[in-house]
Amino acid sequence: MANTNSGGARRGIYILVLAIMVLLPISVTAYKLYVLDYPLAGLIPAPSYNVEVSMQVDGHGEDINIHTYLPKTDSRQSVDNEQNSSGAFTAEIKSDPLNREVSWKAENVRGQQGILYAYAVRARHVRFNIPADLTIPDSYPAALASYLVAEPGIQKDDPQIEAALRRIVPAEKPAILDAVTRIHRHLQDNLANRNFSGYTDALTALKLGEASCNGKSRLFVAMARKLNIPARLVGGLVMQQGSKRTSHQWVEAYISGHWVPFDTINDHFAEIPANYLTLYYGDLVLFKHTANVNFQYFFNVTKQLVPQRDAEAALSQSALNITNLYAFFERVGISQNLLKILLMLPLGALVTVVFRNVIGLETFGTFLPALIASAARETGLLWGVIGFLVIILVSAVVRRALDWLQLLHSPKMAIMLTTVVIVMMVMTVGGVQLGLFELAHMTLFPIAILAITAERVALMEAEQGALKVAHITFMTLIVIAACYAVMDSLFMQSLVLAFPELLLVAIALNLWLGKWIGIRVMEFLRFRRLILGSREMDVKT
Amino acid sequence: MRSLREFLSLLSGTHERAATVLAMNRRNLHYIYTRNERRHFPLADDKLLAKEVLVAAGVRMPETYRTYSYFYQLRNLEQDLDANHDFVIKPAQGSGGNGIIVIVGRSGRDWLGISGKIYTAYDLQKHISDIIFGVYSFDLGDRAIIESRITQHAEMEELSPLGLADVRVIMCDDFPVMSMTRVPTRQSDGKANLHQGALGVAIDIPTGVTTHARFLGQPIDRHPDSGIPLIGRTLPFWPEILELAQRAARAVPLKYLGVDISVSPDGPQLLEINVRPGLEIQNVNERGMLPILQAMTMKETSQDE
Repeated sequence: MANTNSGGARRGIYILVLAIMVLLPISVTAYKLYVLDYPLAGLIPAPSYNVEVSMQVDGHGEDINIHTYLPKTDSRQSVDNEQNSSGAFTAEIKSDPLNREVSWKAENVRGQQGILYAYAVRARHVRFNIPADLTIPDSYPAALASYLVAEPGIQKDDPQIEAALRRIVPAEKPAILDAVTRIHRHLQDNLANRNFSGYTDALTALKLGEASCNGKSRLFVAMARKLNIPARLVGGLVMQQGSKRTSHQWVEAYISGHWVPFDTINDHFAEIPANYLTLYYGDLVLFKHTANVNFQYFFNVTKQLVPQRDAEAALSQSALNITNLYAFFERVGISQNLLKILLMLPLGALVTVVFRNVIGLETFGTFLPALIASAARETGLLWGVIGFLVIILVSAVVRRALDWLQLLHSPKMAIMLTTVVIVMMVMTVGGVQLGLFELAHMTLFPIAILAITAERVALMEAEQGALKVAHITFMTLIVIAACYAVMDSLFMQSLVLAFPELLLVAIALNLWLGKWIGIRVMEFLRFRRLILGSREMDVKT
Repeated sequence: MRSLREFLSLLSGTHERAATVLAMNRRNLHYIYTRNERRHFPLADDKLLAKEVLVAAGVRMPETYRTYSYFYQLRNLEQDLDANHDFVIKPAQGSGGNGIIVIVGRSGRDWLGISGKIYTAYDLQKHISDIIFGVYSFDLGDRAIIESRITQHAEMEELSPLGLADVRVIMCDDFPVMSMTRVPTRQSDGKANLHQGALGVAIDIPTGVTTHARFLGQPIDRHPDSGIPLIGRTLPFWPEILELAQRAARAVPLKYLGVDISVSPDGPQLLEINVRPGLEIQNVNERGMLPILQAMTMKETSQDE
């Protein structure tokens, strides 16, 4: 029979495709692991920080200049994905061997204007071992001369600083380790930390016996320079999840060919943590701006984990290389983040399929849970779920009101869509006003799908009652949470980013699930009397 | 060729309630997808299209008085509707009984719905516009059907005093697999929908006798509103119902079907066919339908070889 033949051919092709979807990705992965020697340890993700510098001015018709420093990529930190959204302001970036400066300029500025500069940072923790017998050299290359002189805030030749230094480091010819240890310990232990943001020069810090980071750092540099150890101030940011205004300063001393970091506020001796971002070197001011413009700024830092750089670099020679894939996307201006969302979406879909076809939960829409979960990556699960519920609730109420007005279908749907957009805008603005910046990312929600879902919610509420709606909403939330857990899993993210061919395995799993005829868990409950009842009968007979 | 009688005797044989529930995945994969080609789905989803094919094959269905496809056709709605005393308005592509209005007579210039609700000419015009616009069809547009209202056979009226009961027969490869009648209750608001609180009453296919009943997920033996016994009743015109179901199944290229029939005083009439019939019928019958389906397929295979 022709029908049987085509059935046989279909099964053959099914098995063939399934085999390809399993074997191909496994061989590509094996090739990467064994031939290209892809480091598996590279799968353990490294922290990356998204830093947003948000600035605001109030213009009264004047020309406004704003000036600050941008981080540079060096051996310790790497900076990428830079984005400048400066509205009316034009940005000009200048780079010298030490620092990268940016100036934003605009003419005739009126009203409140904002500038947002964002970048992603990956940095390493670095620690130096200073040999105990290393002595202070008598002379240095000429290029280091500027790191040994007195500066307005670094009064290295002041008698009081000199006298204090004699007490702290009494030896006539101290070893470098001994000298910097004594200075570091004295500043750390004997000078109280003061958390104020004003400028403190080295002498004032010494006199007061207390200082914030910049005072302590200037005193450190002054003392080091006095001992003929080249030293410099470093301005930067301690990257922690959240919003902050305070920047940080620490110092570096030039020891045996290396710039060795010291932080006498947070007690980092010859080391620097991975969340320190270097913005500039020297005794400089981080922000300079035209006067009387009510300049405001804050840093907004979000931490995320990304695959390790060296692991990516290890594959850079291969045509299968994921970093090449990044490059393709970046060439057309699509961010890594979006790429990551794209790559994780199939996993979310797979999770949804398992919940629907194996567990048997009813959800709104087939892939709405996966889409909401991917949007919730930006807002966090809690705010994502709250946002989802508010949008659905408000638009379902609106839909009922529209029902009462008796409108035709398409215009009604257009109003629903508009409602979803407005609710999202209100939540975004409200979120910013209340300082809930996570809420501001709600705009990534799939608007059209939400409008359709709201329509379906209202329809279902009218036809099958609020209980049914509550039930399916609850099920949908469970599946959203499950999708989120998988899609937000750093291990899964690194795995898919490193081995994108594994998406074919997701297809294979779906092919298998597509032929799975088992009873869903919820159906087992639904028909339990039929299924278990018969077993009881068997036992009795 | 197996006769219906032959098949019924096979069914009346002992069937254990083995762990043999037909579940969603298997239903879709082994019965719906393999027996109902996607291109034939519109036949079941569009009641007008189905009616055309079924009536041509000699299947008795409610008489179509009129159909509306365009808004301009509604201009003379009042005069159009004057032609009939009672009628039913339904969307051609509706589902779950939504969008259906049953008119039982006039109330002055207005119309009287079966639930006692009064419909003005504007109400009906608005409703038909909604249908044409696709409000009940999840589609871009639809057609509205005005057809004759079915009155129930006296025995069905006794069983189902709160509304029109329908008899659902699951047909696989043109043979009946399982059956029940769905009886509206106060809870279901006159709708014959199990999930909304209608009664499900199982019917033994060989005899047409009711065997079990279920209400809101629980076994029950009396009508929750009228109190009449539900078990042991013989459905009127049962052989004719099965014959009608088989005739309908043979008339369409869909080989796994839910056939919905109502029983009027002069015999059964087909209401609609459904390509994705639900699974709750197994709970109503208190047995799974997989053994029956498998017995049928096995027989088929052995005959082929």
